[in-house]
Amino acid sequence: MTAAALIIGQISDAAQTATEAAGIVGGTNTKALVVGLLTGIAFGALLQRAGASSFTMIVNMLRLKDLTIMKFLFVAIAVGSVGIYIVDSLGGIGLVANIGIAPVYLISLIVGGLIFGVGWALAGYCPGTALVAMGQGKIDAFITVLGGLAGAFTLVLTWDYIQPTLEGNFNYGNKSLADVLGANPLLVALAMAAVIVAFVLYLDRLDTKKKATGSPGTGKHGAVTSSR
Amino acid sequence: MSATETELSAPQSDAASRRIGWLYGGILLGLLNTFAVATYAALGVSRNYVFVDDLLLRAVGSDLPTTNAYLSQRIPTSVDWLVMVAIGMVAGGFLAALLKGGLTTRAVPKLWASRFGDSRPKRFAAAFAGGFLLLYGARIAGGCTSGLVLSGIAQLAIAGFVFAIAILASGILTARLIYRGRTS
Repeated sequence: MTAAALIIGQISDAAQTATEAAGIVGGTNTKALVVGLLTGIAFGALLQRAGASSFTMIVNMLRLKDLTIMKFLFVAIAVGSVGIYIVDSLGGIGLVANIGIAPVYLISLIVGGLIFGVGWALAGYCPGTALVAMGQGKIDAFITVLGGLAGAFTLVLTWDYIQPTLEGNFNYGNKSLADVLGANPLLVALAMAAVIVAFVLYLDRLDTKKKATGSPGTGKHGAVTSSR
Repeated sequence: MSATETELSAPQSDAASRRIGWLYGGILLGLLNTFAVATYAALGVSRNYVFVDDLLLRAVGSDLPTTNAYLSQRIPTSVDWLVMVAIGMVAGGFLAALLKGGLTTRAVPKLWASRFGDSRPKRFAAAFAGGFLLLYGARIAGGCTSGLVLSGIAQLAIAGFVFAIAILASGILTARLIYRGRTS
């Protein structure tokens, strides 16, 4: 544990200083770039192996036919939350948690989220899984990435017109659930993880029942049998 | 069970059955995100699409990267950790599929074809429109499924919870409309 903390501490040394420059996330030195690449490879490989880069798995999640990806995402959030706030509470042994709480621009989040959801169901990918699926060779995922570049460019062109409406009102700042509750973030993370685990177990029962009455799908906790 | 149903749900390849389950996959992804936060930052993706646009604009000599408020204030001028994560994701998808099975050049998913036929232009139009809306929405909100949901909620950001509810509500409704009448 301590050895791992030391290694991680050494990896992250230059992270903070570089973030001063506009928009830079995580630094631009060689070490940051190499670690970023390796982290991305692991991220992409995990998404692919879990089936999250599958059009069918995503669309069937949204159709509530197969909740595998939802369970995968929820477990990742629970584990990540506890992990992140354990790291955060271990500051004494040289670990730094580079936590960045996103701002609550309520209109941006709701309007952006509603638009995003339509795109999600149409494409069958999200911005990250489209990259992974493109890596696998899926041509429609490559087209989704092209559409994404066009959408991002349109946002850039329209930004000056929509920004005042999006960010001018209902801005509640960079609030976390721990801030709102006035509680220790690690405790909140643990409590949230417990709620998520209970919810995932419930989803899993629904999922198993659905598949038992329907067609052969995924086994419990296990092998996903639907592809693409 | 109808023929279509069998086709859509039965194992299609060895690769599919050798996938990692949601439980272990989820645990590993949570640990990876912990590592990312302990080293540089939480995982995120969508900003990189704007970064690539910025890069392309610079390549064609446009002055937008310096005159446009969004590009000049929120997008870095050099490759950073987060850009490398996106490049790694493409490579990771390729490598995992290469080593464990899953490389494919398929253009039209079977589930899509079962609803809209196997026309490539039709699927490509939807994929392009979908991608457009994904990134337009994500950049309005300030993140996507990775930055705001996976990482945002893990960091307990209120923004993550709000965004997750919005995308699930909209995504579920849209998927139901698109595939209405289909039972499998």
